[in-house]
Amino acid sequence: MPAIKVRVNGRETAADVDERTLLATFIREQLEMTGTHVGCDTSQCGSCVVEVDGKTVKSCTMFAWQADGADITTIEGLADGDTLHPMQQAFRDHHGLQCGFCTPGMVMTAVAIAKQNPDPSVEEIRAALEGNICRCTGYQFIVEAVQAGAKAMRG
Amino acid sequence: MDTTPHKNRIGEAVRRVEDIRFLTGKGRYVDDVKLPNMVYAAMVRSPHAHADVKSIDASAALEIDGVLAVFTGADWKAAGYGPIPTKSAVKTFKDGSPLKEPPHHAMAIDRVRHAGEVVAVVVAETREIAREATEAVEVDYAPLPAVIGIKAALAPDAPQIWDIAPGNLCLDFELGNEEAQKKAFAAADHVVTLEMVNNRVTAVPIEPRGAVASYDKASDSYTLWNASQNIHANRDTIAEACLKIEKSKLHHIAPDVGGGFGAKNGVYPEPILVCHASKLVGRPVKWINDRGESFLSDTHGRDQISTVSLALDKDGTFRALRTETLGELGAYCATVGPFTPTGGSARTQGGPYKFDAIFYTAKAVFTNTALLDPYRGAGRPEASYQMDRIIDYAAANLGMDPQELRRKNLVPRDMLPMKTPMGLDVDSGDFPEVYKRLIAMTDRGGYEKRVKESAAKGLKRGFGVSAYLECTGGGPKEHAVVEFKDNGKVTLAVGSHSTGMGHETSFAQVLAGHLGIGMEDVEFRQADTDATPIGGGHGGSRGMEVGGSAVLQTARAVVAKGKEIAAHLFETSADKIEFEDGSFFEPGTNHTITIRDVIDASNDPDKLPDGLQPGCLNIGTTFERGIISIPNGAHAGEVEVDPETGVVKLVSYWVVDDFGTIVNPLLADGQVMGGVAQGVGQALMEEIVYDENGQLLTGSLMDYAMPRADDIPTMHLAFYEGAPTAKNLLGVKGAGEAGCVGAPPVVVNAVCDALKEYGVKHIDMPLTPEKVWRAIRAAGA
Repeated sequence: MPAIKVRVNGRETAADVDERTLLATFIREQLEMTGTHVGCDTSQCGSCVVEVDGKTVKSCTMFAWQADGADITTIEGLADGDTLHPMQQAFRDHHGLQCGFCTPGMVMTAVAIAKQNPDPSVEEIRAALEGNICRCTGYQFIVEAVQAGAKAMRG
Repeated sequence: MDTTPHKNRIGEAVRRVEDIRFLTGKGRYVDDVKLPNMVYAAMVRSPHAHADVKSIDASAALEIDGVLAVFTGADWKAAGYGPIPTKSAVKTFKDGSPLKEPPHHAMAIDRVRHAGEVVAVVVAETREIAREATEAVEVDYAPLPAVIGIKAALAPDAPQIWDIAPGNLCLDFELGNEEAQKKAFAAADHVVTLEMVNNRVTAVPIEPRGAVASYDKASDSYTLWNASQNIHANRDTIAEACLKIEKSKLHHIAPDVGGGFGAKNGVYPEPILVCHASKLVGRPVKWINDRGESFLSDTHGRDQISTVSLALDKDGTFRALRTETLGELGAYCATVGPFTPTGGSARTQGGPYKFDAIFYTAKAVFTNTALLDPYRGAGRPEASYQMDRIIDYAAANLGMDPQELRRKNLVPRDMLPMKTPMGLDVDSGDFPEVYKRLIAMTDRGGYEKRVKESAAKGLKRGFGVSAYLECTGGGPKEHAVVEFKDNGKVTLAVGSHSTGMGHETSFAQVLAGHLGIGMEDVEFRQADTDATPIGGGHGGSRGMEVGGSAVLQTARAVVAKGKEIAAHLFETSADKIEFEDGSFFEPGTNHTITIRDVIDASNDPDKLPDGLQPGCLNIGTTFERGIISIPNGAHAGEVEVDPETGVVKLVSYWVVDDFGTIVNPLLADGQVMGGVAQGVGQALMEEIVYDENGQLLTGSLMDYAMPRADDIPTMHLAFYEGAPTAKNLLGVKGAGEAGCVGAPPVVVNAVCDALKEYGVKHIDMPLTPEKVWRAIRAAGA
């Protein structure tokens, strides 16, 4: 079993992981941070998106051991105490979620979109959400939330 | 979005309470339930659509380190468990004989009847070991010919799936006046007929189904956490019919549920199997479907072939409608299964249009596929599609304007209240006004310019419209209980069930608004048979209609009881007390007391009148609706079609809905948009496909196309609030399903409009590029 060290939401963690353990499984089962969700088995739905060393990653597409030494941010690491991250707040303000299952991955992707493109158009947001499926909202309020969240993030 | 406070908070776009939990990763879904000593179950699923199970050898699986148990259909039979019964509201053939209900056991006993059916269950220390061990269970199958497709199932030489169901027929059905319909057809100037397919789709809630069961030997009882939308009825079925225990022995809980759309309404095999697994190994057992298993084992929806005939006069006046439907059920009767293609699809036949007569017939048919059960709308999307497609098809064939046909034939306001030819009581609404408002939103004046702009890009532009009639309310009774706590909070427990619709907010909004208390003081409980002992769960867009009405009724009861307390404190009589904005007062005096003080008094024996006990404001009431509500509305959209590639892009979308009173416009918008996206998905890309042997070809999200953000245009929504219904206390008509009722015909009508120059008059959904491309070529040839 590989021994890995990762920094998750600012906290150092050392763990032994099975070679086959996916990063998503490691985060959910071993770290018991269940905000990262698994909605499919073909890396389509995007519910498991986290940030690994600044890159937006579907955590079901990499093994936990591949994250050895990495700095990881999950949905649990976005808010500042009781203050929501501007993107989380925008999702709430714009009703960008219903059942909440795709939401963690959706918000993590949205933060990445805003970081890469601080003032995205509706079309750019829709294209950039290609890797995240939501079955509840019809996307429109998510798109509005991403735009508002990006605006709030650029301050 | 407006956040202005409204009187009693009805109509206010309150932001959701539950969002904080979901946005910070603190939602608790079934896969987040982790119990001490918990182990895992995995299903061995049949690779065959139809086969005899000759033998099962689990010895190799049992030798794997960490495997605790394997059980099979033989064990299931020996344990004496009962099959899962159907609760179809239509129970008899036309001639009165009972529907053919084959025994649907939680696992195959000796024959499998669809690919994905469970034949064995492995229980192991970890999820990975359990899955791996399923591969080591050796099952000897003797394959049988599979029956795939409705027409093939009804063919005279089709293999028989069930001995009790000759011709693979579960049920036949009719509704309406055939004699009047035939008479009207004979007298009409035109009768236009089209066979149309309502494609087989599935709900794909992003949270896969799963369950955790924990058996307690001391009390001989189970706790079941289940990604279910309907814990009360399913508790009764699982306990009494299947496990054969008293229902009090099954504590059924749905934690946060990640979407349902009907696919989590019914009783499924796996939660029952994990109850047994927990009893067998003496430890809590978790099972979570993966997505591939979900496609195989979730219920599917729609899947109807209908021959629709519209009789109309040469001036375009509709006379009569006849619909003959063949609906697929899969291998067994699902919980609601046989109802959907029969009664479920019959009720809204004819939509909001005026008819002298309507006649509907249906056959519900078994095939060797996964089961069919309600998917958002459950029959109403089918009826809406049939009606609004036959209008455009008739218009195309007779050289008429489809929008003019719609406008001309909508039931006028002065005909309401009315009973439709299908027996629905329409008490309120203004269909022509709703339609007028829709068309006014769509910028018809700019259309020709947009057509030219599309043409300049080599694209054909088309416009499509639908006008729908809904019927909502689901289970008629709902229960709401409030309990005022010492810490100033009030617990609100309601037996309906939000799987994303936002009851935690909208119900608290109704309660807090009526009582004049803060929403932050309301703690919401749902979907737990201990916390909410009575309930009707989710289904039929019933949440606000019956759940919200139960909340309001309970709030009113609290106010009535509060008046007795206030009267006692003021030394007057309760009929002199009024209540407004959170205060009880006696007009003409300086007597006033806040509800907060009355709540405090309600727990103090010294402050209560004779006859009232401490805790007397902790009240539960059951609201029971009468007849179902009739939401209605109209949708429109524009598409661009690339005739070279067949690619369709939906570019504009407009909706006007009459949902009566709107409690929270933000949440209502969300329901409509989500429904529209599902309807657009069905129209453009979604389809469950089996090959001729019953192998599922669309078994993953790589194969089953779902709408992504860039498949859906910006939607423009409006509500018509001029016609609240008197059928419930809030005046609301269900908003949950209407989006996917109205959307599919809009898309297909718009594409056929775009392609009219090629002579394309109909394409069956989904309108994939290949089908559109072929339709253009076939029409041009």
